[in-house]
Amino acid sequence: MRILIVEDEPTLQAQLADGLGAAGYAVDAAGNGVDAHYLGDTEPYDAVILDLGLPQMDGITVLKKWRSTGRTMPVLILTARDGWHEKVAGIDAGADDYLTKPFHMEELLARLRALIRRAGGHASAELICGPLTLDTRNNRATVDGQALTLTSHEYRVLAYLMHHRDEVVSRSDLIEHIYAQDFDRDSNTVEVFIARLRKKLPPGLIETVRGLGYRLSAPQ
Amino acid sequence: MTAAVTRNGASASPRGSLRLRLLSGTLVWIAASIVVAGWGLSNLFHRHVEAQFYAELQTHLDQLTANLTLDARGLPVLALPLSDPRLSRPYSGCYWQIDRIDKDNHEDNRNAAAGIGLLRSRSLWDHVLTVPPDTPADGELHRHRVTGPDGGMLGVIERSVRIDDTPDGKPLTFRLIAAADERQMSEPVSRFSGALWLALGALGAGLVIAAMVQVFVGLAPLQKLRAALGKVRSGEMQRLDGEFPAEIMPLVAEFNTVLAQNAEVVERARTQAGNLAHALKTPLSVLFNAAQSTDTQDRELSGLVIDQVGIARRQVDYHLARAQAAASARIPGTRTPVFPIIEGLERTMRHIHADRQLILTAMPASTSLSFRGEAQDLQEMLGNLLDNACKWASHRVEISTCSENDQLRIVVDDDGAGLAVEQRDAVIRRGARADEQVPGSGLGLAIVDDLVGLYGGQIVLADSPLGGLRSVLVLPLAR
Repeated sequence: MRILIVEDEPTLQAQLADGLGAAGYAVDAAGNGVDAHYLGDTEPYDAVILDLGLPQMDGITVLKKWRSTGRTMPVLILTARDGWHEKVAGIDAGADDYLTKPFHMEELLARLRALIRRAGGHASAELICGPLTLDTRNNRATVDGQALTLTSHEYRVLAYLMHHRDEVVSRSDLIEHIYAQDFDRDSNTVEVFIARLRKKLPPGLIETVRGLGYRLSAPQ
Repeated sequence: MTAAVTRNGASASPRGSLRLRLLSGTLVWIAASIVVAGWGLSNLFHRHVEAQFYAELQTHLDQLTANLTLDARGLPVLALPLSDPRLSRPYSGCYWQIDRIDKDNHEDNRNAAAGIGLLRSRSLWDHVLTVPPDTPADGELHRHRVTGPDGGMLGVIERSVRIDDTPDGKPLTFRLIAAADERQMSEPVSRFSGALWLALGALGAGLVIAAMVQVFVGLAPLQKLRAALGKVRSGEMQRLDGEFPAEIMPLVAEFNTVLAQNAEVVERARTQAGNLAHALKTPLSVLFNAAQSTDTQDRELSGLVIDQVGIARRQVDYHLARAQAAASARIPGTRTPVFPIIEGLERTMRHIHADRQLILTAMPASTSLSFRGEAQDLQEMLGNLLDNACKWASHRVEISTCSENDQLRIVVDDDGAGLAVEQRDAVIRRGARADEQVPGSGLGLAIVDDLVGLYGGQIVLADSPLGGLRSVLVLPLAR
């Protein structure tokens, strides 16, 4: 899962990036409205955390521009102004949720998980595929109740596949959603992660669709 | 007439009525001019009639003088009777008389009496005019007033005529008297005066009516101005609109400027409050996150920071909300349609509480109602109530709106656990929280209560027919 953080205060931006990184997300960050708009417009994020008071272009404008060009990723607004008129304006501009500063990192993570889950059409915080269960609240994957030990990149690949269960996910899709923008990407590493996951998971769960990518689905 | 300018224009008791002032001035002027005109005209007429009266008497006297001769015995006779027929009709009111006033007879009273009424007009019948003794010099006319034959007062003029050419050669002096009833003079005058006062009265009444119409028509724009101000106050209009006379237009323009400035000041205050919130809360967030992060060594310090940041955040929230609210309730002329606000909040609640899968229902039949106040304040009050309802509801939240006794009533119901009667007051008090487990600062209801108070409204917590809590907002309704 790849997240864009838009926050102009550098310390808070770093704290957010740390918190989200620790929760298993690939994180990009932007410090002004123009950069934020460009990134959100060109990169496939799974969610955006958007501060409203931004230099160059304010958050509401950025959000409206995204929505007007058909960008549908869930957006969580993060702002100091907590008047209801601002919340209504934010939601009406296309935001999906709203959090006021200062905030508990746990609450932010919970809201973010809920947004990503809902965007994928999942009602519960636990994603299930056959014997495999992924609890997004604590980043734990279990097979028949047995916890799996996963590296953060393995977790990201698995989480993305779980969120897109029964869909064919291309290798480039995976790369874009597990790596931050400035990460040195190597498409071969995806194959490595898939191979490692297949060893840890029951056989047949991750299927290779020739020339298209991978599909996670419950065995027949 | 210029109206005096009161220095303390805001003083409570009105200093007289402008209408009364204008009217009383006009009325005094009308009354004075009518009295003066009436007195002057009747006086003029009286003098004219009097002049005519004496002119006629003089004509009679002239005729008498011309026709006076002596007979063979030396007694006065008229060569020709006088032409005016009234002098022949008894008691007609026109008389003449000739007395003899010889100097040598003066000491002889009897003789003197014998000389009086020597020759009289037929109209006098057997009456003799008793004119005070007087001897006008030759050619002089003297006026007197005497009692007439029927008891009325007579106006009299007399002249003395000396005849030298007498049978016995002794010159004789006669007093020629012409008299007429003064009623001949007073009657036309009183008739004229009656008609005159009647006419002047009608004129005065007409002028008074005209003045009243003028004052009412002239002051009508003030009524219109008052009506327009009333509309601004009730929130029906944002500014004073409409055509006003040139004298009032500057006032209207000034007032509109003040209204616009007020709105601007509020907007600026809001923006500044928002900026302050941003400026304070971002560093608070940084501190908070730093204290929370698991690798912090000093548990005690991080706990302290988390607590204090929480307190600071509440204080900032509370005082910012108050600062923003304090400005807005004082802007007249603002009105906010309720339904769009409810719709906006409903959309927002659906997103914010998306996980709760609530059935959120806004009752229709409230589309035409408007709140007399700022949209942001209504959003703040209703947003907090709805947010609370959504946090506590099991499945359902209902919003309904109605007008009652000229007030706006917004009712939010939920089917949650409700709130014990003794807790209801406490949750409205500042900072109190009924349950620390549900997220939210607990300031929501306190801020709602503050805002409601600023608008002179009311917030009532009660049992809901849905089973949970019912919150009722009673607010001013814009007409």
